[in-house]
Order: sequence, then C-alpha cells, then structure tokens
Amino acid sequence: MPAVASPTPAIEVRELVKRYGQVEALKGLDLTVQPGEIFGLLGPNGAGKTTLFSILATLRSPTTGTARVLGYDVTADRDRVRRAMGIVFQEPAIEQRLTGRDNLLLMGLFFGLPQAKARRRATELLDHLGLTEAADRPARTLSGGQRRKLELARALVTDPSILFLDEATLGLDVDARRVFWAEVRAMAAAGRTVFFTTHYMEEAEIADRIALIDTGRIVALDTPRALKARIGGGVIRLQTDDDAQARTWLAARGFTATDASPGLMVVDPDPAAVLPDMLRHLPVKVRRAEVHEPSLEDVFLGLTGKGLAGEDGAAPAPARGGGRP
Amino acid sequence: MIRGIYAVVVLDLKRAWLDRARLVTGLAQPLLYLFVLGAGLGSSSRMGGPGYQRFIFAGVVGLSLLFTAVFMAISIVFDRQIGFFKAVLVAPIPRAAIAFGKITSGAIQAFVQGVILLPFAPLVGVPLSLGSIGLALGAMALAAMTFSAIGVAVASRFTSTTVFPIVSNTIILPMYFLSGALYPLSTARPWMRIAAHFDPVAYAVDLMRGALLGEFFFPPALSLGVVIAVIAVLAASSVRVFNRGEDDSVLGAVSLRWRR
Repeated sequence: MPAVASPTPAIEVRELVKRYGQVEALKGLDLTVQPGEIFGLLGPNGAGKTTLFSILATLRSPTTGTARVLGYDVTADRDRVRRAMGIVFQEPAIEQRLTGRDNLLLMGLFFGLPQAKARRRATELLDHLGLTEAADRPARTLSGGQRRKLELARALVTDPSILFLDEATLGLDVDARRVFWAEVRAMAAAGRTVFFTTHYMEEAEIADRIALIDTGRIVALDTPRALKARIGGGVIRLQTDDDAQARTWLAARGFTATDASPGLMVVDPDPAAVLPDMLRHLPVKVRRAEVHEPSLEDVFLGLTGKGLAGEDGAAPAPARGGGRP
Repeated sequence: MIRGIYAVVVLDLKRAWLDRARLVTGLAQPLLYLFVLGAGLGSSSRMGGPGYQRFIFAGVVGLSLLFTAVFMAISIVFDRQIGFFKAVLVAPIPRAAIAFGKITSGAIQAFVQGVILLPFAPLVGVPLSLGSIGLALGAMALAAMTFSAIGVAVASRFTSTTVFPIVSNTIILPMYFLSGALYPLSTARPWMRIAAHFDPVAYAVDLMRGALLGEFFFPPALSLGVVIAVIAVLAASSVRVFNRGEDDSVLGAVSLRWRR
C-alpha cells in the first residue's frame, strides 16, 4: 500500500469490452487519464473511438469491464458522471431554430439549474466565448465557427471538471479550429481534464498524451513527442510505378518499407543522406519522393500498417444514435 | 424529476412559440367541421342544423385537441434525429421526466389550440357561463392530457417520421370517429356504442360535452376514472419504452424498425 494516496484518475478504464451482436468493437481496453490532462484518442474509422467515447459519455453501456469517470462508474453512477462532464458531439447538438442564449438556458435547466442561475450562466458563457453579439439570433444563422463555440459553451454550462470532445472541429476551417482549440487549452489550463478524438493530426499534437487505437485495442499510448521518437528517425515517402518491386529491392538493402498506400514509407535515422542513393539505384521509376519529420500518422502506419484516414477500414463503424441498420 | 419535466416543457414551448402561426391555421379544420360539415350534415339530421352544430361543438373541440396533441407527439420522432436531443440524453434527468414532459407540453399546446375555439361556442348555440367555462376548461385539460398521452405512447415507439403519421392515422381516426364526437352515442348502432365503451376519446369528449351542455352519455365519475386511468397507464408505458434498452442513446427506439 502506498503511503500517499494518488488522486482519483479523471478516467479509468479496465478490460473494457463492447460487443454489438457479433462485432466486438472494444476488445478489452485499459486506459487511465490523470486529472488536468489533455488526452487525445486517435484511430481510423471503426477503430472503436466512438464506442469508447459513447461509453465514457454514458450513452452506451459496457458489455464487460468497467469505465469510471472521476471515480464514478459510468453505468452505476450515471447521473453523477453526467453532472461532472461536458460533451461536444461530432454532430450539432444545439436546437438550430432557437437562439444561442435559449439553447444555453435550456441546457442549464436540463442540468437542474434554477431559471435565474441558468440565465446568468448563459450570459456569462456567451460573453466569455465572444458570442454576445450573435447570442440572440437563431443558431442556424451563425457561422460554422460560432456554432462550434456555441457547442463548447453548451458543454460548459454546468462548469464541468471533464470535457469530452468528439471530432469537435470537423468541417471547420483552419482559423476557426485554431480559435476553438485556444479555448480548449484555456479550459485545460483552468484545471479541467480534456478527452478528445480528432482526425486532424496537428490538433492531436496539443495533447499531453495520445492513445492510438485500432480494431478495439490501444496500440500505443504516450506523449506525442515520445510517440514520434519511437519511429527512430526520419521518414521517406515514396511513390513509384511498382511499389511491390521497390519494396523487395529496399528490403534486400536492409530498409524496412511499409505499405502506405498510396506509396511506401521508409524510416531511416538519416533520410536525407540515404535518399539520393536510393533514388539513383531503385529499379523502378520514382514518381514522388518526400522526406519529413515523423508525424503521428507515420507512427500509426508503422504500428498497424494502415493510415489513420482508414477509408478501407476493415471493421464496420459502430452505429451511433438511432440509426443502426 | 420536476426540473426535468419543466426543462422539457420549456424547450417544447419555446419551439412552439416559433410556430405560433400554427394556432391560426390550426383553427381552419375544426371550424370547417363545425360550420360546414356541421351545417350540412345537421340539415339532414333529426336534430336539425342548429341542434346538430350545438351537439358536435364539444366533439370539434375534441378533434382540435386530439390532432394537435398527436401532431406534437411527432416531435419525439424528430427529436431522436436531431443532435440537441443527444445533449438532453446526457443530462442527469430521469427518462421518465422526458416522457412526462413530452405529455405535458403536448397537452399544453393542444389545450391552447382548444381554448381558442371556445369563443365560437355561442355562435352554434352553446351558451357559455362562468361555471360552464370553468368546467369545460377542466374537462379540456383532462382530455388534452389523455390525447397527449396517447400520442406520446404511440410516438415513443417509432423512429421513422414517414411511418408515424400513417400509423397514427390508423389509430387516431378510428378512435375519433367511434367516440361519438360527431353523432350521439345514445342513438348509434349497438356495435358502435359497444366500441365507444373501449375508446378513451369517447369518455374525454363526453366529459367536455357534459361540461358545456349538461348532457352526459357515460356517468361523469366513470369518465373521470377512465380518463385518469388511461393517462396513468399510457404514461407508464411511455416511460417503459424510454427506459428500455441496454444503451441509453436511443431513447428506447429498439424494437420497431421500419424498412423501406
């Protein structure tokens, strides 16, 4: 027994399994997120991201295993978890016909705030997020960035100590995304835990730690820097007329080439030094070659042999909402 | 629980306020029944034109209440498809509060739609006094709750906005036509009279007619009992639907799925 009690983890997942009929979306997942951490979850579609997210957000129940948020079990203490968290969903979760202010007011009521307090909180949040001017127009007339900020405001109505963001910036332009994440960072600086999923690699970089998830399992979990260091060098991306032949040729010379369709990924401690020779001697025509610092995408590719975009994802995406076929 | 119900009601009424024009357009159908159908059928009825219109007034109020309440219940089917409800579903309120809130808000909207018909009563020979207005409002409130409970009980079982109106019509229209809203049950064919005994709409309409004209077909105590029991049973059944399923994300919409 340790003498000093460790703080209650913000998120604690143990041997979490979720099955939809025959499909096992999560295959025994373990995960611990510390309070105040910004934690990112990365993986292709169908990897189990949304399922894990829904379970933590109390929208789905685990098949077996446990998930706790701030020490509360997501099934047994569902309402406690709900009071402590704020969620920004991938799809809009504001009533488009009502004003931003009404949306926030209603959320306050749904979370049990008295009318006057809910009203005050709405004004406070609108002001804080710079939405005051847009507050009294129907939400559908706001810009994409404003609407996302409104979603964030909605998630913050209850002053949650943990914030869940599921692909929260999907479809936003670069500027709006930057503004959005600046807000999120401020939330974290104020002591909130942030747990997010994203498709944008550069967004993932703001995480303190990242879990890479594939086919229902966590394949790597570390700081972004450490994850990228794992790759052990720089990355060369090649596109040739015959990738298979190029790969055999590279393997014969001691390089490990991973299929990165399109093209190949080669990792080397000093890619700039080996590339000229490689280009000169490769027996196939090289259409494109590029050297870059390892990205999280490369890390994932190196670990799983597939990209994060995952259009060809083998596992079916878990259904969400009411639309399971 | 109370706060949850309150929140659902505020949400629905705020949305209804955006559609307040519907209060006016919603008048068209009952007024057509009252003044056109009523006058036309009335002239060939034993009661005579004015007598018939006077008789069906409560039935037309019932029509307005019933169709408004059921139409409002459709919002449940829509709500399941919009994101806002996802945010509602992660609020720490019991699913029962959503069911009760939906029934209440549907009833309020139906009630308002019904109330604006009352000023037309004297035009068809239904005298209004303070007493009869008071009784009528009470009966209308109960009827509105009953119809809204029916609507929510049906709507809670559907996920498709295209199928629900069809289904509700096959349930709601027969209930309305068998209720004696448009003809006196006392002189109706025996099978229709028997059917009316199993039709909650009949009791609700009879209460309203009794309140306005003092003419009852069922004993008022029986009607009160039936109506309250129906509200309780249907509310409980909607709560059960909302609560079912391992997952909390679908609001009970698991068993009925319509394929195109």
